Amino acid sequence: MNDWTFRAEGVTKTYDGGKTYPNRDVSIQVEPGEVYGLLGPNGAGKSTLVKQVIGLLKPTSGSLHLGPHDLVADPDAARQLCSYLPQAPMPIESFKAAEAVRLTGQIRGGDRAVINRRADELIEALEIGEWRDTLGARLSGGVRRLVGFVMVTVVPGRLVILDEPTNDVDPLRRRLLWEQIRHLGEMGAAVILVTHNVLEAEKSVDRLAVISDGKVLAEGTPSSLKVADRGRLRLQVMLVPGMPTPDLPPVVLDHSRVGNNLMSVIDEDRATDGIGWAQRLMGEGVAEEYALAATTLEDAYIRLTGVVASEETEAVPA
Amino acid sequence: MTVTLTGDLRSGPGNWFASLGAMLRWHLTSLRLVLPVMAVVQMLTAAGLSVGMSLFFSQVDERTGLFLGTGAAIVSLILVGLVVAPQLVAGEKEAGTYDFTASLPVPRSASVAGWVVVSALVSLPAMVVALLLAEWRFDLDFSVSWAVAPAVLLTLVCAALIGYAVAHGVEKPTITQMISQVFAFLVLGFTPITFPPENLPGWLAGLHQALPFYHMGVIIRGALTDGLVTDVGRSYLIVVAWTVVAAVVTGIAVRRRK
Repeated sequence: MNDWTFRAEGVTKTYDGGKTYPNRDVSIQVEPGEVYGLLGPNGAGKSTLVKQVIGLLKPTSGSLHLGPHDLVADPDAARQLCSYLPQAPMPIESFKAAEAVRLTGQIRGGDRAVINRRADELIEALEIGEWRDTLGARLSGGVRRLVGFVMVTVVPGRLVILDEPTNDVDPLRRRLLWEQIRHLGEMGAAVILVTHNVLEAEKSVDRLAVISDGKVLAEGTPSSLKVADRGRLRLQVMLVPGMPTPDLPPVVLDHSRVGNNLMSVIDEDRATDGIGWAQRLMGEGVAEEYALAATTLEDAYIRLTGVVASEETEAVPA
Repeated sequence: MTVTLTGDLRSGPGNWFASLGAMLRWHLTSLRLVLPVMAVVQMLTAAGLSVGMSLFFSQVDERTGLFLGTGAAIVSLILVGLVVAPQLVAGEKEAGTYDFTASLPVPRSASVAGWVVVSALVSLPAMVVALLLAEWRFDLDFSVSWAVAPAVLLTLVCAALIGYAVAHGVEKPTITQMISQVFAFLVLGFTPITFPPENLPGWLAGLHQALPFYHMGVIIRGALTDGLVTDVGRSYLIVVAWTVVAAVVTGIAVRRRK
């Protein structure tokens, strides 16, 4: 019996004779049953990496293996063994939703009866049944995204690659989609999930790699990546619009500002000092409100990439 | 529902034909909204060419009529394969949907073959309409031989493959669209299909001896008429050679990874 682990070893991709490096020496490993997140800001090289896995691009150096198969040497095998949901919209304007799913299932070599059964179940599970006979051109972006997910996973490959699967999807169906992504893992597929949504990734992936400028900056479980932030709290201060960033007291260990939102990280033991500072700012009319919360993966992400995930804006260095 | 994941790779003729069938349905469904319009526009264009060209002449004798009538049919047959694939693929690249189609797990050759069948479905009715119209308008007598099947098939495959090679081989969609417009311009106006090669300047007529378009006209005329063209065997050889080249370039283009 084969071990269907996915391994990327030292994958480097360069363009323009080495002037740009979308990927630099990327090594990751995804076990069957695991949901693995590739997290990073726009332009970090996440999509470039997965396009090499599916054989749309070729690595400049390094290797990609799925179980016994060398995916770089055998792109035909890569396309059969991997399911791929690209970030771009699916070309299904003139397909009815259920029809697009059935046809892709057949193209993926599935058995008709199994395809029909699983298509029905996925469509029902994602609550998109009312659109099953609607033409793709008339579907909203979110529903179209979900139909795309059903298309590529109705006959799942050993490796399922989902590039920003939750884009445009409403919060309720997002939750349903996550359940189905987890279910792919339970069936034994290795799942690579490309996203820049840190909070979603924190809740849903088993392990993840933070990628920036084509390099893996950190890898591990969401909890292990937060270790450096253990014993710290996040103090979020909403400044009065137009106010300059106030002087920061020593209790603030790290901070970033997006618009009027001043996010700071403080020591757990000195929470009272932090609250005192925030209250003073409110008293002086500098801030409108504040909130104290546990640190999240987002704080680790900001620390690693220097990018505020929720806004995709360069953080102000502390 | 839990499905069993397979690690078996599909291959062999059975898989190839199943993929061809599936990709044919994929292409046809993708074009469902435009295909009927495309077929009708092609028929109207062919009819327009056939009738319109005759307006240049005050009197159309039997030989000119045969030239014009078959010429319009041949041009419409060539144009679909040559122009439609580049336009559609350029559109896919611009919309960003090209990656998904390229990631579908089918043999590349089956996908190409599916496309050739689609272009046949669009261009053959147009060709038949052009011929029937010419027969009625110029009171022609075609003498159709069995060679019409290989001649039309070869022309169709060659034109579709050249179009496909450009569509997939040229990276930038804007350049692809430009090339397809040049093709249309060249085939419609400056290829000795609706007129004899003697009407062209010597260098251009010479160039057409090496390009496939004039020869496509010769082999189809050879199968539809009696004594209108000569040296049909040589033309077959040239069109076959271009088909092989286009197939090789297409094969490289669809397998190429940047």
